[in-house]
Amino acid sequence: MGGPFLLGEAFLLGLASGPACVASCGPVVVPSLLAEGAGWRLNARYLTSFLGTRLLGYLLFAVVVWELGALLSARPAARTLIYGGIHVLLGVALLWYARSIGRGCAHACAGSGLVSIGRVGKRSVPGAAVLGLLTGVSLCPPFVAAGMRAAQLGSIAAALLFFAVFFVATTLWFVPFVGLGCVQRNASVIFVARTAMVLVALYYLFAGIAMLAGRRIYG
Amino acid sequence: MADAACTAFPGRTPPRNWGRALLLTLPIALWSLFMSLRGLMQQDRSLQIASGLTAAFMVVLFYMMMKTSSTYRWRRWFFVALGVLFPIGFIHNVMVLRGSMGIPIEEMIAGRTPFCFLPIPLLILPAALTKTLVFPGSLLPGGGMSGAGMAAMAGLWLAITLVVGKGWCSYACFFGGIEEGMAALPKKAQWKKLDPRLRLVPWAVLLAMVLLSLALFEPAYCMWLCPFKAVSEYVAARNTVGLVQNGIFVVLFGALVIVLPVLTKKRTQCTFLCPFGAFQSIFNKTSVFDIKIDRTICSPCVLCQKSCPTMSLSDDSIKKGETLMSCMKCGACVDACPKGAAVWHIRGTQVAVKPERARLMFLYSAWAMAAMFGGSIITQGLATILQRVI
Amino acid sequence: MKWPTSKLGYTAAGMTVLAAVLVPFLLMGLFTNGFTKLGLHVDQMYSGGPTARTIQEDGYTVTIHKAVYPHLLQTEKPFVQLDWKPVNALPQHVSDAVDVDGDGQPDVRVIFDVPKDPKTPLRVDVDTLNPRYQAMRNVGKQKFSELIVRVDDAILVRVPLTGR
Repeated sequence: MGGPFLLGEAFLLGLASGPACVASCGPVVVPSLLAEGAGWRLNARYLTSFLGTRLLGYLLFAVVVWELGALLSARPAARTLIYGGIHVLLGVALLWYARSIGRGCAHACAGSGLVSIGRVGKRSVPGAAVLGLLTGVSLCPPFVAAGMRAAQLGSIAAALLFFAVFFVATTLWFVPFVGLGCVQRNASVIFVARTAMVLVALYYLFAGIAMLAGRRIYG
Repeated sequence: MADAACTAFPGRTPPRNWGRALLLTLPIALWSLFMSLRGLMQQDRSLQIASGLTAAFMVVLFYMMMKTSSTYRWRRWFFVALGVLFPIGFIHNVMVLRGSMGIPIEEMIAGRTPFCFLPIPLLILPAALTKTLVFPGSLLPGGGMSGAGMAAMAGLWLAITLVVGKGWCSYACFFGGIEEGMAALPKKAQWKKLDPRLRLVPWAVLLAMVLLSLALFEPAYCMWLCPFKAVSEYVAARNTVGLVQNGIFVVLFGALVIVLPVLTKKRTQCTFLCPFGAFQSIFNKTSVFDIKIDRTICSPCVLCQKSCPTMSLSDDSIKKGETLMSCMKCGACVDACPKGAAVWHIRGTQVAVKPERARLMFLYSAWAMAAMFGGSIITQGLATILQRVI
Repeated sequence: MKWPTSKLGYTAAGMTVLAAVLVPFLLMGLFTNGFTKLGLHVDQMYSGGPTARTIQEDGYTVTIHKAVYPHLLQTEKPFVQLDWKPVNALPQHVSDAVDVDGDGQPDVRVIFDVPKDPKTPLRVDVDTLNPRYQAMRNVGKQKFSELIVRVDDAILVRVPLTGR
């Protein structure tokens, strides 16, 4: 299936890619974490939800990569379309999230649960989960590098294991975000976080639409 | 009458006689003369005249601050002059060197993009994590429009910030004077009710731009939101997206720097957008000088709140006897307070005990910086105009 | 007790005034040198990367830079920059086979015309002899990772890497 060397490679690749993952998820994670309630426990729940669905996204991608082989790496145009589409979805999710905070309790610092952005049946869907899934399938370069390596493996189980170990290693870099729970929450902090979320969402929307339209962002 | 007012309102400093005002102006006069020496010794006649005029301008304004014991309106003359003359000098240099305000990619590759202070907070995280400056400039002087280089601008920023804190936004920023001038034009504000939460937007912009700059490895605010590209330079559009970026800054400039200041009589770009201003607010926590409100004298008539160009006085902060973190130390509230309750203050000292001493010490520091930095920019702008005339 | 804090406050204020005087003579230079010594460098996506080696051609040189790889989420491709210098010594039509990686075998053939008017836009074709480098056809200066520009007395060509 996968020897220790393969798992070691996945772990090291994840550790090396972790800063890039944190930097790429930062615009999504930091404002949304600040918009949640205070307390490291609540922030830990947010990160658990976010990282859980991010892992789901990774594993889904591993299945796709295995089924499609090196398709994604051989067709940059397809990758750009997928990347653009995910950017648009991320932008929409962030805007919905910002709106949901506003419609929730006036003082989110008093909330005991995560901010919900919808319902599936009777269960509310935490915004953190949606954002985690979307960032999980986002084709950032470290993710693509891991995908290309996983596509070379002998079985889908190996690819899944590779991605899981890669994910665990990148996750270590997210642990310090729990510290944001120590930041005092009040109406001003929530407003700043929501507004920052909107600004980031507008960037993602614009960048996504530009990619889908085949336009270069920066020349 | 002034003495009677002084007795009734001990926080108010009466106007001085011309002799005392002159004496207090003397250090600044010597400083301004020294700062303008280099220009005065140039062969270029327009530069000589511009240096002399600038020195005289700064001295006269300081003298008036001493004579009238008010700060804001005299500081505003300097600040508006700085805001108007900087683009004149800068754009002229750009047109002479490149023939266009658009920065071509060649200049970015050559490291000749001039570095202003606005991207400083955006560069910190990428520099700290990867030792990389995500700005197409030069660390040292690189010729062309690179000026003295990024290290010099950063060094200058840090030095001036240590002295004046967020007073940078009132005594050093070469962009804010445009909107301050626009805000001074109408007698009354058309829009008086402004949502106080909008004061927090610069913090949101700072947070978003810092995170995006780290993710994308570029100065995101410069690329997407800086309205002052309209009066300096911008990345020459190479595609549709570039055109959109340039369109955004034109719209923001028109709205936040021209129209809204006229309608609200506030510095709306500074109050509602500038992430650098939010970043500088942090240094108000370390600054020795601040502005306090003597609660024993305050009515409250909230004239200070109405006069503040950046909404840095809220009902809560007035009750606490202090300004908000966004205070730029422009002195508008102190001058507007009819009872002298709003006063200059030195941390650790008693409020409203010898406030004029605090004001003097602050103004000596701030005006020295203004004469050094802003004065040199005003000189360049004036010289540019005089070259056309002489 | 206000007395000691007042003394401290006035002392700090006095030192601030002194610091203001020292800014142009000491502080600014100190901080500028400090920033210079931090070991920071401008992003190689702009600067093109450090020089690897220089090849001597007939009257001019071709400088090969080390490959530049994008950071984190930069959208540019990895590239290698080649400089032809000085411009006035270049023939009107340049067609050079360049050994980029220094293994003795040419990797790319770079073809461009040198116009007499320096303001004329440049265009370049790059034929790849090594699959590691990406071919280019009639490329101008659209992207940082794929361009031809004139900077001062040199013509710079950036050839993207394919990642193989």
